[in-house]
Amino acid sequence: MDSLHAIGFYVSAAVSLGGGLLVAFLPGRGGRGLVLALSGLGIAGLYASLSADFAGLVALVCYAGCALLIAGPRYRVVDTPVGMVWRQAGALAAAGLFAVLAYAAFRGDFIHATYNGGEFGIAGIGRLLFAHDALATEAVGALVLVALVGATAAWRVRERGR
Amino acid sequence: MSAGLVSVLFVAVALVAVGAFVATWKRDLVAALAGLPLMFGGAGVAFAGAARFSAAGDPKIFGQEVAALLAVAALALVALGVGIAGRGTSR
Repeated sequence: MDSLHAIGFYVSAAVSLGGGLLVAFLPGRGGRGLVLALSGLGIAGLYASLSADFAGLVALVCYAGCALLIAGPRYRVVDTPVGMVWRQAGALAAAGLFAVLAYAAFRGDFIHATYNGGEFGIAGIGRLLFAHDALATEAVGALVLVALVGATAAWRVRERGR
Repeated sequence: MSAGLVSVLFVAVALVAVGAFVATWKRDLVAALAGLPLMFGGAGVAFAGAARFSAAGDPKIFGQEVAALLAVAALALVALGVGIAGRGTSR
């Protein structure tokens, strides 16, 4: 990875991680949606610096959609009965997860090789998605279909209940 | 300045951990859903990084494919969660 890509990688990492932390601490849904979109922009930048331009484009669109859903008028508050102690325990567990995975990342390594980065690669990804890994693509398509049908059904049940 | 596989995996791990932190820290369930795309994004970065730096195995763009599928799956799950949680009060 050359210096320009490395700078882009580290800047995108800072943007995505900073946005992710702000998602946890900002109070309003509008601000949360905005920083989630910012974090998605950072993740798309990470993909682009790893020569995964098509994945970056898809991530940009999907994270913008997530941000709109989080910040949109359909948002409803559902409070959990879980107490502060358990939430703090969950936060500590997240820190423990980071420590374990970071150790695994530090120990992991691959054989380095030359890579013809920079191309958009949409034809190759299309061949992968619709020929080599068609079953995985159809599984994700089914997940999207079930999610959208479920969301629509939930909204209709709520409207009827009013 | 350079970035190798370990740097990529560290960032991916940090994204997963931040997503898990958001999911556990927020009292509101729908706000906690915002941690899901972050965790999926971390997994996607790990896949894309492994595909970028690995020497063996074909095709090279398998990691990009999984990253794109993970982004779509995250969007679908957030939509489902926001839809199911539609019985609460607006804020």
